[in-house]
Amino acid sequence: MAAPPDQPGHASAAVPGDTGLAAADLAAEPVPGGESSPLVLLEMIHRLKVRDVMCTDLLTLDRQAPLKRAQELMRANNISGVPIRESGRLYGLVSIDDIIRALEGGYIHEPCGRHMTTHLIVLEDDMPVSFALRYFGRYKYGRFPVLNRGRTLVGIVSQRDINRVLLRELTREVERLERGHKGVNVGLGEGDRLYMLCEYPVVKLDFENAGKAANEIKILLRDRHTDPRVTRRIAVAAYELELNMCVHSNGGTLTFLVSNGRAEVVAKDNGPGMADVEWACRDGTSTANDWIRSLGFGAGMGLPNTKRVSDTFEIRSTPGKGTTVRAGFALQPGTRDGEAPPA
Amino acid sequence: MKINDVARILDGTVCYAGEGPGRPVRHVVASDLMSDVLLVDADDMLLITSLASDQVLRTAQIVGAMGVVVANGKPLPSTMAGIARSLGIPLVTVPLAKYECCVRVHAARAEEQRGGAA
Repeated sequence: MAAPPDQPGHASAAVPGDTGLAAADLAAEPVPGGESSPLVLLEMIHRLKVRDVMCTDLLTLDRQAPLKRAQELMRANNISGVPIRESGRLYGLVSIDDIIRALEGGYIHEPCGRHMTTHLIVLEDDMPVSFALRYFGRYKYGRFPVLNRGRTLVGIVSQRDINRVLLRELTREVERLERGHKGVNVGLGEGDRLYMLCEYPVVKLDFENAGKAANEIKILLRDRHTDPRVTRRIAVAAYELELNMCVHSNGGTLTFLVSNGRAEVVAKDNGPGMADVEWACRDGTSTANDWIRSLGFGAGMGLPNTKRVSDTFEIRSTPGKGTTVRAGFALQPGTRDGEAPPA
Repeated sequence: MKINDVARILDGTVCYAGEGPGRPVRHVVASDLMSDVLLVDADDMLLITSLASDQVLRTAQIVGAMGVVVANGKPLPSTMAGIARSLGIPLVTVPLAKYECCVRVHAARAEEQRGGAA
């Protein structure tokens, strides 16, 4: 009996005589529909593992069981294949084709071990779903047995299983995005696992609403117990950028993103853009008029203040087109001078 | 010293007192330039300003101020009390100038600290 290869990440045959198939053979193949898939879907099929989508409630038989028993299992449970397993190890699979041949050949009462399909393509449970999709596209089988690193049969996966989980995950993602576009928290947890995406429109000279987005961002972070010093810096940057867009631009969007322990405030406006970005980032330089100054703003502190409080700062501007400012923050305190790490 | 003490010391009118016991004054910032206020990194600050606008309250919320005093007897926009309530920031209006407000609050805090030390 030839032992299946045990290299991590490789698909292999778990049954005697099978030649196995290396993951590298398929790695270069595109995911079906991948080129046109939305990014969120691509991220999903790379993030989810086969173990996340496979069926673990397995109906199996041993090699001595008659084919007739496999036929009964298939009919009673509306399945198209029965894995043949002993002591956790996969020896083969009885398919509908095997049953038809047994009925035609008159050996339906003989043991499964004698007539089962033994040349199997299997998946490993820690492979990404994108890899499983390539297998379905390439081999045209309806299902694949799934083994763990110890070569034990742990599940079986069909395209229907994958579709079901992807639909569930997509529904959750859409719900999160819908809440995010209303400017409401779309958080999933705390600390490094906190995830948010909020977008706020900013209208030119709309002082009645200016600052509301930054206020909401501060409340979102405070309610999730983000470090108060980090929360304050993010809120100041968001407020300055929001007011800056309100005062100086034709309007735009303030976006707040939190992912992988980092937060980013992005202010993207629709013009008019700046010819001299360096000048605009100096303390005390501003093109604001007296009316705006009478409201307590326009002192030329917005961009320097934002730069001062953020961990990373980037500004790009094209005269006649618009300006995009990105202010980045590490959510964990202690990454800036004078900021103590958490106790 | 809390917001009701501030109003009393400054002969002011409490437009919104806040909910619960309120926070004590730990720092005082007097400015009409909100960008300057945003630069101050101090907890529980009392913001004294001559500016009577909604943006004063939004700025106060961003820096975590414990209350806002609008000086010089400036008439408040009709929206200000409602915003103070929604943001949970106590709001007081006083007839005194900013300088006089600072002097009185400073004297009262010094007195308070002497009393606390005794």
